[in-house]
Amino acid sequence: MNYSIEAENLNLWYGDFQALIDVNVKIPGGQITSLIGPSGCGKSTLLRCFNRVNERYGNVTTKGKIEVLGKNIYDADVSLPELRKAVGMVFQRPNPLPISVYENILFGLRIHSPIRSMTRTESDQIVEEALTSVFLWEDLKDNLKVRATSLQLEQQQKLCIARLLPLKPKIILMDEPCSALDAKGTGAVEELMEILAGTYTFLIVTHNMAQARRVSKECIFMFLGELIEHRETQALFEDPQHEKTEDYVQMRYG
Amino acid sequence: MTRPKLRKKIILLSITVIIEIVALIFFWNALKKTDVTNGQASPALGTSGGLPNLLGDLNLILPISFLVILLGIACAFYVEEWLSATNWVRRFIESQVAFLTGIPSLLYGLLAVAVFFGYAGVFKATLQNAEGSALAGTPFQRNTALFYTETLIFILTVMPVAIKTTQTALRSVETPIRESAYALGATQWQVLTKQVVPRAFPRMLAGGCRAMARAFAAAALLVGIYAWSHTMELRGFPDRFMLFLGGALLLSNASSFLTEIYVPASTQHN
Repeated sequence: MNYSIEAENLNLWYGDFQALIDVNVKIPGGQITSLIGPSGCGKSTLLRCFNRVNERYGNVTTKGKIEVLGKNIYDADVSLPELRKAVGMVFQRPNPLPISVYENILFGLRIHSPIRSMTRTESDQIVEEALTSVFLWEDLKDNLKVRATSLQLEQQQKLCIARLLPLKPKIILMDEPCSALDAKGTGAVEELMEILAGTYTFLIVTHNMAQARRVSKECIFMFLGELIEHRETQALFEDPQHEKTEDYVQMRYG
Repeated sequence: MTRPKLRKKIILLSITVIIEIVALIFFWNALKKTDVTNGQASPALGTSGGLPNLLGDLNLILPISFLVILLGIACAFYVEEWLSATNWVRRFIESQVAFLTGIPSLLYGLLAVAVFFGYAGVFKATLQNAEGSALAGTPFQRNTALFYTETLIFILTVMPVAIKTTQTALRSVETPIRESAYALGATQWQVLTKQVVPRAFPRMLAGGCRAMARAFAAAALLVGIYAWSHTMELRGFPDRFMLFLGGALLLSNASSFLTEIYVPASTQHN
């Protein structure tokens, strides 16, 4: 089995508060893995470790080892822009940049390539490909100059996924990607994830257990900073090995 | 851009231009009536025009305030973007800014007079040297002191305003914009130049205007100080009062800084 992400003895502190305690996890490549657990259990923190965006909040101490695609991302020679290019991220609230749809898709590519390295035809083609793979091309092909923040939320979130694709990431991290969307939008995003899952490794944080059950192949349960259980989704929900997992998946709390 | 939007923009722009032209005509007429545009400078009050004064003010404040505002903007960028909220340099600068923006410039003017024209002046030695040199008795001697005074006053009055307004402008750019740009792999420099500054720029300009307004207020003070230095014996300055003023300012500043240090930073941005 090939693993996209391997974390060993990962400990993380926000100031004096320990948010992650000895987390060991292996995320298989090319499929959807979901992270569940009650609020404040460290799901999002763990997710944000994998492309090191949580370091920006200051006051964060990380110990342990995380290998992403076979390379320890805490090595001194790791370039953060390259890491974040390979590990894309989708946030809880759709956060397209307040520029046009067209420029949103090209923003990632532009910051990673020298100025004026793309011709107009090339960039047109990139935008079309990206939008087509998230099924937005038909809706937006006449409105590429529209400000991205004026789209519907569902379209915005799909756009946020689409703008990762030109960078050719290997892994896409999603932090509750559907919590700001209605049922129809959630359905659309889930469908999209399932279609893209063969090409990319997805790791999603979700509060919605039904969603974890629907989309993910493997499921990780976390509680108060510790990783309690990591198994196939079906098995985790139907035959939880741990008492806390059982309580949580049967909705006794959380 | 779609056509209706373009038309709307053109209409708005022309309305603005018309309002500005009308305002300018009114303003110019008002100036004419009060004889402010009379270009004649005269020592007698009432017969001199206002234009030389206006130009003199601009001449006095523009070069230094420009530099000081730029310095303030650079400082705000460093503090806001490169230092964490708990960093003590940042907390020191922020407490100083909060303190300085609240103090009327007159107090600093008096202090500056004490420092540069008074007894225990830091540049007393320079002035004394100048007295023995070819510059003695020339306006240059006084102008040098005035130059230092102006720089000090502007650093104390204009720079905090520039820092504060620039910081507010940078904070007004929503976190999701920064977050999404960082998550796409942008470096800090790219996030700043491509996303943050274009969005914060209008507010930064407005902040620059506010800082300039404070510079104009300080210019009145400078003119006063310069006149004072002409008429008063330099040695006759009431030094005990100055000592008291300086001491009081330092004490209250120190207390505000200590409060800042001991009260934990409650707001963490970014």
